[in-house]
Amino acid sequence: MRLVIAEDLLLLREGLIRLLTATGHDVLAAVDSGPDLIAAVDTHRPDLALIDVRLPPGFRDEGLRAAIEIRARHTPPPPVIILSQYVERTYAAELLADGHGGVGYLLKDRVTDIDAFLDALERVAAGGTALDPEVVAQIFARHSQDDRLARLTPREHEVLALMAQGLSNSAIAERLVLAPVSVEKHISNLLAKLDLPPTSDTHRRVQAVLTYLNA
Amino acid sequence: MVQRTVRSLHYLLLGPVAGVGALVTVVAGVTGCALLAVTHLGAPAFLATTSTARRLAGLERRRAALVLPARIPTPYPAAEAAAVSARARQRAAHPATWRDTAWLTILFPLTVVCAVLAVVVLAVDLAALTAPAWAWALPPGRRGDPGFMTLTTPGRQAVTALAALFLLPGAAWLVRALAAGQARLAAGLLKPGRTQRLTERTDHLARTRSRAIDAQAAELRRIERDLHDGAQARIVALGMTLALAERRLKALGPAADQARADLTAARADVNAALDELRHLVRGIHPPILTDRGLDGALTALFADHPLPVSPDIRLPRRLAPALEAAAYFLIAEALTNITKHAHATTAAVTVRTRPDGTLTVTVTDDGHGGADPDGSGLMGLRRRVEALDGTLTLTSPTGGPTTVHAEIPCAL
Repeated sequence: MRLVIAEDLLLLREGLIRLLTATGHDVLAAVDSGPDLIAAVDTHRPDLALIDVRLPPGFRDEGLRAAIEIRARHTPPPPVIILSQYVERTYAAELLADGHGGVGYLLKDRVTDIDAFLDALERVAAGGTALDPEVVAQIFARHSQDDRLARLTPREHEVLALMAQGLSNSAIAERLVLAPVSVEKHISNLLAKLDLPPTSDTHRRVQAVLTYLNA
Repeated sequence: MVQRTVRSLHYLLLGPVAGVGALVTVVAGVTGCALLAVTHLGAPAFLATTSTARRLAGLERRRAALVLPARIPTPYPAAEAAAVSARARQRAAHPATWRDTAWLTILFPLTVVCAVLAVVVLAVDLAALTAPAWAWALPPGRRGDPGFMTLTTPGRQAVTALAALFLLPGAAWLVRALAAGQARLAAGLLKPGRTQRLTERTDHLARTRSRAIDAQAAELRRIERDLHDGAQARIVALGMTLALAERRLKALGPAADQARADLTAARADVNAALDELRHLVRGIHPPILTDRGLDGALTALFADHPLPVSPDIRLPRRLAPALEAAAYFLIAEALTNITKHAHATTAAVTVRTRPDGTLTVTVTDDGHGGADPDGSGLMGLRRRVEALDGTLTLTSPTGGPTTVHAEIPCAL
């Protein structure tokens, strides 16, 4: 995969390059600021941009703003993954707002689980979603009064949480040690309980779930 | 004793000299200011007069130092406005100006009376003391005058001199007492008044307290930044290295299984450490507060809250960091209390600024009320608000609703 990295801390930038190169990926550019990132994406047209949320000069959410700008500049919007030391549901909602998919929002901690991290990269590059479990937990906390969510069984809840993270059916089946068929069944049940249209396209389904949860 | 008496006399004799200067200044100044008040020269005339008055008052403080144990402190502000009219207004409003004027106005009559009294008493006593030496010089025709009766015979002269010697300490005491009284009166008027001292002290305390609070807020943000760029980044990097090592061991096959298991455990510890650091940082200073300000941070807070919170946040612009943090933690804590104790179904939060420079925060729920105003949670909130010179009130009748209302001064 061809990637562009935006990370201002040298230690982590080098770490990411090392990790991605070691796993057979191609880092086209590694920059340390929002404007440089926008320029690098314009030049290289990467398969994915990996962006630290906090970048100079303000060290606030420049990375997120740059990501939103990149996605507004190109059609189709280039896939981006925001990495952060902490996650905020609001930021996830802003990233997902354009409804195109191909976005990820992960804690930096997740990088240390290489297989899951690479999986998330592939998923997002293919137009899917990768949301940190902690963001999903925040989203769910918000719905504690939601009657429709209350109708889900605990198992359906688990499946929904993994769906919201962006996992495919087979990944969910693997994670929950379930047969793919029963995962399918849980999914169609929970979509029905949430009044969401059934569809076999994973990305579209994830989008629908996230739209529902962010509303 | 002799030295003190001499200094007192010195002080008293200098008095009328200063008094003449003061009289001239006051009369000329008042007349000049009154005449020029209607023209645009009023302010410069007032400034010139007060400047002269201040210089004279300064000399008076130095004169008083002849007899007072400590110097009289100067009451004037360290910095004055640059513009003439502003400076004139500033001086007119300053109590020291009018206290100086009062002293300079009474200076001439007061010092003349004191000096004359001291000189006459001392002169008469010294004259009587030296009577035997110069009694012969009385004109013969006046020896019958009743005033000179004490000098007509050597015996009477001796008695007079003895009486004068006996009274000399009293005369010296009078001189010292006059000087001390005058100097104390000068000190009373020329030092900063009680109101001014208290005002200055309060201003100083308010200033240093707000600086301390700002410094604390800045320090917390610095700690958050340092953790983010330092410890947290290093631990993430450590996790990446561990993960890569784990991956390389995989290639070695089952022989390395034990080492891989150890690395997996190490990685879990790394992630636990990161998790703890994250919680710590949130408690110190939520990053979203720095990123998005109070409005954004509250929106996120409400969105994550289990109860529906209806927000009404109207802030003209970003507040000082210390204030943002205080308001954020106040609201977060109040909402936590509501979910824990109030059995409420909804909460409402209002954040406003009033034109008089007050930030008001109100958190209301529809719970059953009866909250304890001295509970530890509320005491913590109260301390937080009071450190910023604010007030916190709780109304929680049995049956509800409970309202927490805070008012904190803020610069607009």
